[in-house]
Amino acid sequence: MTDEARQPILEEAVRLALGGEGVTISDAKKLAGGAMHESWGVKATARGAESDLVVRLSPAGRADPEKMNREYTVLKAMHERGVRAPKPFAMGSADTGEVYMVMERAEGDTNPRKFITSPEYETARKQFIEDLARSLAIIHEVRPVELPGIDLRSPAEDEDPAEFERQRLITDYHHLKLNPHPAVVWALRWVGREIEKLERTGRPILVVHGDLRVGNLMYDENGLSAILDWEGVHAGEPEEDLAWLCTRVWRFGQNDLEAGGITDRETWVQAYERASGATIDRNRLRVWEVLRNIHWAVVCMMQARAHTDSQQRSHELAAIGRRAGDTELEILRLTGVAERFANAG
Amino acid sequence: MQDRPDARELLEALEEFMRERSESSQDRFDRFQFLVAANSLSILQRELQMDDDFIRDEWTGLDALLGAEEPPVRILDRAARLRERNGDLCDRIENGEFDGQGEDQLLRHIYTTVFNKVRIANPREAV
Repeated sequence: MTDEARQPILEEAVRLALGGEGVTISDAKKLAGGAMHESWGVKATARGAESDLVVRLSPAGRADPEKMNREYTVLKAMHERGVRAPKPFAMGSADTGEVYMVMERAEGDTNPRKFITSPEYETARKQFIEDLARSLAIIHEVRPVELPGIDLRSPAEDEDPAEFERQRLITDYHHLKLNPHPAVVWALRWVGREIEKLERTGRPILVVHGDLRVGNLMYDENGLSAILDWEGVHAGEPEEDLAWLCTRVWRFGQNDLEAGGITDRETWVQAYERASGATIDRNRLRVWEVLRNIHWAVVCMMQARAHTDSQQRSHELAAIGRRAGDTELEILRLTGVAERFANAG
Repeated sequence: MQDRPDARELLEALEEFMRERSESSQDRFDRFQFLVAANSLSILQRELQMDDDFIRDEWTGLDALLGAEEPPVRILDRAARLRERNGDLCDRIENGEFDGQGEDQLLRHIYTTVFNKVRIANPREAV
């Protein structure tokens, strides 16, 4: 889709967001584009005032209004509660079939490698962890019933969210695998045994962001500027978000700093405990780290399958299939298996 | 027998081409795509070099866990049978047959095969 061809729909979206006539846009720039959606940065002028906006747009045929509505509703609720997230203005759909959402353009950068490795962000990284813990604590206060009109994937109220996730992964694994993975099958069994040993938390089912990793977090020299990409939002328990940030694949090589390559796991969890007043059971957290790694292994299988099933032929997707192994090795580290057999030959 | 360059040498030539394109391209998307392609070609070279030994080890490990059987002579048949045997192994794990005492032997086998897999697919992570 050429930039010019998108112009009318971007204008329509911005008019809806800012209200009425006298709205013009300029400098439309594609920020990111994938099969599922595009993000456009635009400069909007309404009644003499200028603002920088982002239009998220799902192409016709791929558009899922229900999903966009879920993202919009959650983002709006979270922004109002004080979570650092872009303020959403409006969502709508075009006669031509596209669905879109308009939000403010947060200031900052999203290149995770730059943030994690560059010395100029050393102070920002410390503040970032505190900011993130505070925003996450606010997200995790919200119960799904407080977000009416949207359907969130959710465990039953009396179900252990970790077991719910385990069952989901068993189904997805069997559905998506291209070949048998004994390590994954064993790990799912290990998780089941560990869950039985855990104490139940007594918490209600809560909203989780669902894709909390440094690549979805915008930063500047002061710390966290915005939590982005709320597509994965669902209901569960806080440990899921805490653990996903710690997943090895999101450390960008800084493997000693488990929390996103920024700080160690314990510093991160303690920042969250201070911000939320909650106590995190470290054993439960470890179960979630294994679950999140299994999730990533299954995502690798899914990506490779998109290629082998010819949904989207791509050597890049094919290559991702070979990344499941790294994740299996990490699972064997987290469960203590690697330590036992690493030097046994 | 095929003439030289052999498979590994041809793959190496392709990898060099992709890597050179990745470094010289002005386009960010192209740079990344060529880099991924170069990396896939280097996986294939390591696979040609090491997988014969690794598959033999995996087969022996499965013999100990599932009962011994002769590997098929043809490489493609062996790969297909190895996949089936791993499917059997997964079924037995799910049925709880390795819970308790048998688990140690199972995990030693799983660790070795996963580690070997990563040595081919992403050696930087084989630590």
